[in-house]
Amino acid sequence: MPKSEKNFQEGCGGFFIKDVENSLSQKGMFLSSTDKKFAVINPARMCQPLGAVQALLGVKGAMPLIHGSQGCSTYMRFQLCRHFREPINISSTSMSESTVVYGGEKNLIKALDTITRQYEPELIGVTSSCLTETIGDDMDLIIRNFLKDNNDFPVIPISTPSYAGSHVEGYNHALRALVEKLVNPTSVHYSEEKSTFESSYIDNKLNNLRRDPKYVNKNYNVKINLITGLISPSDVFTIKDLLQEMELESIILTDTSQSLHSPLNGEINFLPSQGTTIAQIKDTINSRGTICLSRHADSAGVFLEKNFGVKLINIPLPVGLSATDQFVETLSAVGNKEIPENIKLERGQLLDAMVDAHAYNYKRRVAIYGEPDMVIGLTRFLSELGMHPVVVCTGTQSNIFRDEIGVMALEYGHDIHIISGGDLYDLQQKIVEEDVELLLGNSYSARIASEKNIPLIRVGFPVFDRIGAQRINITGYRAGLNFLDKVTNTIMERYYDPGIQEKI
Amino acid sequence: MTKEQHKKADNTKNSENGSILDFSPLPDSIIDALESREKHRCFKKEGKQSTPDCNKSSIPGAVTQRSCVYGGARVVLMPITDAVHLVHGPIGCAACTWDIRGSLSSSSKLYKTGFSTNLQEKDIVFGGETKLMDVLLEINRIYHPPAIFVYATCVVGIIGDDLKKVCELAQKKTSTRIIPVQSEGFRSFNKSLGHQLAGDALLDYVIGSSHETTLNHPFTLNIVGEFNVAGDLWGIKPLLEKMGIHVLSTLTGDSRVEEIARSHQAHLNIVQCQKSSNYIARQMEKKYDIPYLKVNFFGIDDTASSLRDIARFFNDHGMLKKTEQLIKEEINKVEDAIKPYHDALKGKKVAVYVGGNKAWSLIRAFEELEMEVIMTGTQNGLPEDYQKIRDTVKEGTLIVDDSPVMELYHLLKKYKPDLVISGAKEKYMALKMGIPFCEFNHDRITSFSGFRGYINFAKNLDQAVSSPVWNYTEKKLKNGRINQFNEVKNAKI
Repeated sequence: MPKSEKNFQEGCGGFFIKDVENSLSQKGMFLSSTDKKFAVINPARMCQPLGAVQALLGVKGAMPLIHGSQGCSTYMRFQLCRHFREPINISSTSMSESTVVYGGEKNLIKALDTITRQYEPELIGVTSSCLTETIGDDMDLIIRNFLKDNNDFPVIPISTPSYAGSHVEGYNHALRALVEKLVNPTSVHYSEEKSTFESSYIDNKLNNLRRDPKYVNKNYNVKINLITGLISPSDVFTIKDLLQEMELESIILTDTSQSLHSPLNGEINFLPSQGTTIAQIKDTINSRGTICLSRHADSAGVFLEKNFGVKLINIPLPVGLSATDQFVETLSAVGNKEIPENIKLERGQLLDAMVDAHAYNYKRRVAIYGEPDMVIGLTRFLSELGMHPVVVCTGTQSNIFRDEIGVMALEYGHDIHIISGGDLYDLQQKIVEEDVELLLGNSYSARIASEKNIPLIRVGFPVFDRIGAQRINITGYRAGLNFLDKVTNTIMERYYDPGIQEKI
Repeated sequence: MTKEQHKKADNTKNSENGSILDFSPLPDSIIDALESREKHRCFKKEGKQSTPDCNKSSIPGAVTQRSCVYGGARVVLMPITDAVHLVHGPIGCAACTWDIRGSLSSSSKLYKTGFSTNLQEKDIVFGGETKLMDVLLEINRIYHPPAIFVYATCVVGIIGDDLKKVCELAQKKTSTRIIPVQSEGFRSFNKSLGHQLAGDALLDYVIGSSHETTLNHPFTLNIVGEFNVAGDLWGIKPLLEKMGIHVLSTLTGDSRVEEIARSHQAHLNIVQCQKSSNYIARQMEKKYDIPYLKVNFFGIDDTASSLRDIARFFNDHGMLKKTEQLIKEEINKVEDAIKPYHDALKGKKVAVYVGGNKAWSLIRAFEELEMEVIMTGTQNGLPEDYQKIRDTVKEGTLIVDDSPVMELYHLLKKYKPDLVISGAKEKYMALKMGIPFCEFNHDRITSFSGFRGYINFAKNLDQAVSSPVWNYTEKKLKNGRINQFNEVKNAKI
């Protein structure tokens, strides 16, 4: 198991770092953060199949099929539909009492047959569920039996037991399964040119790499794989846009930018009409390398590196100034491209806005809650603005999360309560203790915000009580600028009078 | 079959071989799929059976709108406001369903809290009973609720946790009601079983468990099958109170455990959602000798006749008089208020596709606005439900059962209703098709029941159909052929 994945899965309970240095030196010793140990009260994470489905919704022509009882797919459809405000279809093998007794083979085969005939998908992603994992259905075998002589048709089994991990792991597993099942060793090209991703580069010695004459003035094939992690369709779009401005060809794993933000143009699509194609996923082994923006979803990149020598670089999600700098610099180094003037302009504008807004934001006590990568990104961004993240919370258990936040706490000299694998009950207790002035989180945190009279900025999944969840945009300079305005204006609205005198 | 083959095969089928719907310009595979479910659709015809085949398992893979047995149980019980609703299972079952029903409360908000035992791999291997006990004791310590409902999910049924035993033990330790609900998701393809299991939980553990006598009122009743979605109950209760009736409890909207525990003392049960709650009423009649009336508070006529039925049941001269007066007053107010909406809605065609009850209880409400219901259907209907639909709809209405997404799309495309009434999962397909939509499920945000609710209903329908946005959904960008700037330049100004 790759190291990063192992760290991720070991997990840890809710804990917090008050005295940061002390805690970091005593890794592995976790303090329970609240007065409860057993129950989950107001969950802050979803189960694995939901994450896997979100990955599949970025694959063109893919039908997600949940091998379980009907409720799984119906409730997930409900959650996804009300968040993205799009018609989303998830198929179910409709397991029932009798089929549970005899195993799910008959239902799974019938479902695959129905889907192929009625929906003509280009791919079917089959996720398991707690039910079918526990009764021990061998999905691989059943799918092979179904395909028989039609081996070319991609039916991808994805093991997503709902009793382990969270939707973040489900997303990770789905990406890995897609790549693992689709790539074909015989279709590797350009193996020589892969050397662009030298180990020196992995060590992040960007400057050395760029100055090295070996890499200058060569006409590289610069296509790269990009793993975005669980982010909004608009964020995927922003990242694609940046790549385009840098004139870099890319394969996005997986591209939800249009499939989950589709136009009204008279067409009804039962399956994603846009997104990463199967040909693209097959082609990932020929890319120069993989840039992964999610430490929690890099297993597809690890697989490509290990088996096909496609180098993997993990960098943070480009949220805020320094993370976006790192992203743009990485693209520049990888593609051996100059950074376009337009991007420099946008960076300058973001920096200018940060300076303009700094006095309003300085030392504001904020709480941030959501998917681990997003929270890591926002914690850094708000710290850059001078704010003080006092509570950061993710429902997914993750050592990576704890470490990343811990490092930031050291860097900015902040005391931070870190809740990893916690729930909204834990979050609420810490919010009350810490006198929070601003909360960033999804719609489930709206009740805390209104009870405690704290202004809330909605980010993450799910956001169902406001319009435009698919357009919540935090990545890159331009969106970062808009987000900064939103944050600062929310602070001004609440803590300053209309004449912008500070409220006493 | 490839797409090309489908195209070639187009137009080869027609409706003359007995098919009741003509879908002829479609690919064969789709027509096959639609035809294979032909028995699940029918038109109402006088003198004919006119009910579709129903209560059959869905076709695996067809993207059914149905949910699970746990879903059925939770919709009935979760509106009980001061109880803890603990989902015994992996996190997803609770995470996807907590606080999703728009049932309102006038007191406790505890029911909106999502509780899960968060079963992990080791619990699946060694059993979840110990964890369940730990969680129950912990929750009881933090909240001291009057009752904890424990819902079994799929995996609990597989690993064989003895829910009843653990609940019994925990009840002894905590002396609060701890109620097992055996709602393993896979137990049936039809969530109606969940409704029934929820009813059993109430009948076995709550109803009749308090012997404290309530006030000595001559006219008391329970409102059964009213979940106070968007505050529906609050459109009904004041009407009954004005008639001189004391509402002893509601099952289960805006209710408290203690109220339900005393509900067996009522003189009458009235049943609003006859899909989910007839069972409870029937059982209460058997067990406690409480008669029940089926009522419907959607629509003016149905509300009025429901009130009259109730007054007639009590057969009190004063109440009968008060009721007539009340109906007269309210109808006057409503008729004035809905006039502008009525004009906008008259003649519009409606398609209804819902969980159950609303497939028949809304029909008259639409007819009162001179709207035409051309299609109605449910995901989980039982034969008795379709009988009710058949008796309510007018000649020629299409009745469908458990229509998968693909079929629903083709039906909407073919019959082109002016308005679709359904839930969140169907909403965005209708909107993308350019068809106005009105939410009538869990997350409805406006009360539609009673006389006042009818005004909201009309207003919401008007909001749905009359917006100018629908004028643009067919409009497309056109490529310009003439350089308009040149034209302007050449024009003699």
